[in-house]
Amino acid sequence: MTFTPYQIIAPLISVFALVYAWSLVMKQKKTIWEGALWTLFWAAIALIALVPEVLDYLTFTMGFKNRENALLITFLGILSFIVFYLIVRVEELEHRQTKIVRSVALREAGLGRNGRKHEECKNNGVAE
Amino acid sequence: MKVIAVIPALNEEKRIEVVVRGTQKFTDQVIVVDDGSTDSTAFVAEQSGATVVQHGENCGAGAATMTGIEAARRSGADVIVTLDADEQHDPHDIPALLQPIREGRADIVFANRFGRRNRIPLIRRFFNAIGNFVTLIATGKWVDDSQCGFKVFGPKAVKEVRIRMNGYEFCTELVRESVHHRWRSAEVPIKVIYSEYTLAKGQSFATGVKTALKILLRSFLR
Repeated sequence: MTFTPYQIIAPLISVFALVYAWSLVMKQKKTIWEGALWTLFWAAIALIALVPEVLDYLTFTMGFKNRENALLITFLGILSFIVFYLIVRVEELEHRQTKIVRSVALREAGLGRNGRKHEECKNNGVAE
Repeated sequence: MKVIAVIPALNEEKRIEVVVRGTQKFTDQVIVVDDGSTDSTAFVAEQSGATVVQHGENCGAGAATMTGIEAARRSGADVIVTLDADEQHDPHDIPALLQPIREGRADIVFANRFGRRNRIPLIRRFFNAIGNFVTLIATGKWVDDSQCGFKVFGPKAVKEVRIRMNGYEFCTELVRESVHHRWRSAEVPIKVIYSEYTLAKGQSFATGVKTALKILLRSFLR
């Protein structure tokens, strides 16, 4: 039985991703539930790479009849990933903005990191 | 035990006074987070005796709640109560919600609007059921009313809680936090007052779908 490069690389990436996901679980940055979700996802990637026949059912139900269709679907997948990536980046920026708004709000309410000092300075009209 | 209430508010100048005065009877301090209101919410809240923290920009319910929690921490809170500013929650329920914390039985208490005979519209029940289901998928934990903003955080939760989601999805994130930090949780039935105003202000179907997608995306990305 010969393996294509894809059939070697995809399962390897899956194994690395799974080790990384479970290391995050061990470090308590992910919950066990999230670790299980990731395991399902990467196991499916590895399985499809090693046993492509499992996709026959999908091909049958979705009606991929030729390579052109498969190529189109692949590119749609890549585009979805890019949109997904952009959503994540926008969320990160939103998160940063929130942090700035929060820190300004807390400082103005006299609850900054040096809250009392700030309050006293404000009351005495002294610049910090 | 210092109990501080956190009330995130957006354009609630007509209701905030009643909520603040009602809450003051059961807590040591009330913090109102004005999330970029365009009316006099902040002024009315301050006049009613609340500590006001003002967001310069509207950031969302989750962001406002986290700002309130941070303010409460810095004010020396041992226990934090969060509730909505639209009079939907009855402050008289606060003692019952505090009970599991006082007895040392829980680190977080979720209010349950469906635990009593409340007149809740069917559509609202349906949306909440979907919210609970998405929360179960994302966190692995079932909470009878996961999307209710009325909650109590005990000392352990006050120390550890961190909300990163800005919008309404923060309710699911709090369930995730309770699983992540292994907080003991309790659920207490509460009274809920739905008026035309609160119903109109609630989440639309589109917001609900967006929230659900964000929760699922986030739980995968983390």
